[in-house]
Amino acid sequence: MINFLEVYERALKGPIMSEKDFDMKVFIPRLKNVVKAYGIQYDKETPVPSDDKAADNLYKAAVDFLSQVGVYCQNTNRIIQFTLKEILEAVREAPGKCFVGEGKEAGVFSMRKPDERKVPWLHVGSGIVTTSEEVATNKIEGYASIAELNSISIPALDSIRGIPVLAGSPAELYAAIRGVKVGREALKRAGRPGLPIMNLISTAAAAVTTIAASAPQFGLRPTDGWLCGAISEMKIDFGTMNKVAYLLNWGANIGAETSPILGGYCGGAAGTAVVSTAYILMGLLVQKGNYQLSFPIHFKYGCCTTRDVLWTVSASCQAASRNIPMPVIWLGYMAGGPNTKMYFYEAAAYLLCVVASGAPSVQTPHPAKAVKIDGFTPMECKFGVDMAKAASQVNRQQANGLVSRLMEKYESQIETAPSGSRYQDCYDVVSGKPGEDYVRLYDEVREELARVGIPLT
Amino acid sequence: MDQKEILKNLSMAIMEGDEDKAKEYAHEVLRSQIDPLKAVEQGLSKGMIILGGRFEKGEIFLPDLLIAADAFNSAVEILKPAMEAQKKQVAKAGKILIGTVNGDVHGIGKNIVAIILEANGFEVVDIGVDNPSLKFVEEAEKVKADVIGLSSLMTTTMPSQKEVIDILKEMNLRQKYFVIIGGGPVTKEWADKIGADGYAGSAFQAVEVVKKLLDQKRAAD
Repeated sequence: MINFLEVYERALKGPIMSEKDFDMKVFIPRLKNVVKAYGIQYDKETPVPSDDKAADNLYKAAVDFLSQVGVYCQNTNRIIQFTLKEILEAVREAPGKCFVGEGKEAGVFSMRKPDERKVPWLHVGSGIVTTSEEVATNKIEGYASIAELNSISIPALDSIRGIPVLAGSPAELYAAIRGVKVGREALKRAGRPGLPIMNLISTAAAAVTTIAASAPQFGLRPTDGWLCGAISEMKIDFGTMNKVAYLLNWGANIGAETSPILGGYCGGAAGTAVVSTAYILMGLLVQKGNYQLSFPIHFKYGCCTTRDVLWTVSASCQAASRNIPMPVIWLGYMAGGPNTKMYFYEAAAYLLCVVASGAPSVQTPHPAKAVKIDGFTPMECKFGVDMAKAASQVNRQQANGLVSRLMEKYESQIETAPSGSRYQDCYDVVSGKPGEDYVRLYDEVREELARVGIPLT
Repeated sequence: MDQKEILKNLSMAIMEGDEDKAKEYAHEVLRSQIDPLKAVEQGLSKGMIILGGRFEKGEIFLPDLLIAADAFNSAVEILKPAMEAQKKQVAKAGKILIGTVNGDVHGIGKNIVAIILEANGFEVVDIGVDNPSLKFVEEAEKVKADVIGLSSLMTTTMPSQKEVIDILKEMNLRQKYFVIIGGGPVTKEWADKIGADGYAGSAFQAVEVVKKLLDQKRAAD
């Protein structure tokens, strides 16, 4: 496989053009051509398709697309290009597994296929911003109390000693280091210090912050996981490339992070599915990912549970799971917030969709479009784990029927979804236990979902 | 081809994103000695506004809008000399300086807002992503903007929206500009807290907010 320095050299020597020309003259027209040439078609009646040939065709379209378009480097204004042969070689050589965690929490995060009954790798938690170290600690302890989880994401802090965290500032650096220490300490308190933290560094926007807070004396280990994000669409910058260079030198796990936007430059569901699949190839080739975090979202609603995004997620998940040996964590953003029925309907639909489609891993679906400060609780984590286990017991056809029924409950409310409660509003911040109202709502929803036919135990 | 038909064809060319046809009908406007300003306002702009509505309903997506905008601009370039000769220019609803704030490299949401504002007759100066806070103020002064639009997709870059407002206050320029904010994690509450003049949760809300603010200003003047 092409090594990272060669990728960097291509960023210096590839065809030069303005970013606007890349969008308008390369990305948009070539994506349209590929969608047409391969006959990729969105079927709004089938949020979870189950056609293996269509999945393999989508994979071929993504390979062709990446070979035609490449990846735009914003710092050099050049396109990093890959030949068809190089892309296929990267796929052939990809290990399809990632070694994470320490001691009794050490594990191998590996692949799944569509309709496979194996429980996916259970990635729990979120990097959603939290307002205090106390709340962060409580939440992490709450996540870690879920016995079945395999890896964890920790929250980002929004301030340090009352000073707001500003991207790329010294305050961000202080908060990132503090956040890492809080995360590891909370895992020790929960008796699971070896759990891999796989959303590093949640408090860091700038590469310099990520690299600084990663120094081992602050508690991180190469068996944790660092997110190195592509820029939408099919772009990269030196910030991400610097992080990759550092992590490769250290031998640490890299998570290639990608979020194609349906309705943006990708156009509709068919184009977004091609790009979503191509991003996983980009993750292998550019970010040199050991794993991937993928979350296609809707440009207008900022969530993953619209009909077209669910189809996009399902189709690209199937294409990747069947053809690209890259363990992907599929993450969904829900429109509804914590402590609302809508969140649970959406989360159930998303997890059924993606688990049946062969997701190697699922992360706790994020409430309130992942933008509500303190808008995440261990209750959603518990539900995510139970629901992912239940979803692994259904095939794509069954999932499609269940998802359609769940969509009847929430689809019309996406635009006006309730943002729900903050952690402090539905949990006891001292004991870290959920309030009675939230427990009642949770039990009600679980019973309702079981009646729909979801095998929740 | 009569005037009505030419104007209709101009609108259709924009809606179809057909740059060649848009240019062809722009030449037809000149040949037929139709008022070029009328051709822009009742032909080209009409097409963009209809397209904007279809975009809002989710019937079309950003690429369609961008392609139409290119066709629009190509046709306007052809009509511009005739408008200048007649000392006419397209009346702009207002000038908006827009950009993504310091430390934030996310541009798609901001691009959508910019194009929808343009489609609704506003002049938009887009300064791109990751802009230092002072740059917003300097550029607004330079281009004589009416409104400054600040986009942020990350919680940790939202404080930069406040910083721009604080700089405007420090430089005694706060009353000179309306400031509107938006982006994934941004809320109306945050806008109120930092003293922004408006919050937009979508491109179409941005159009409404800007129109309302500028209408209020005109009424006060």
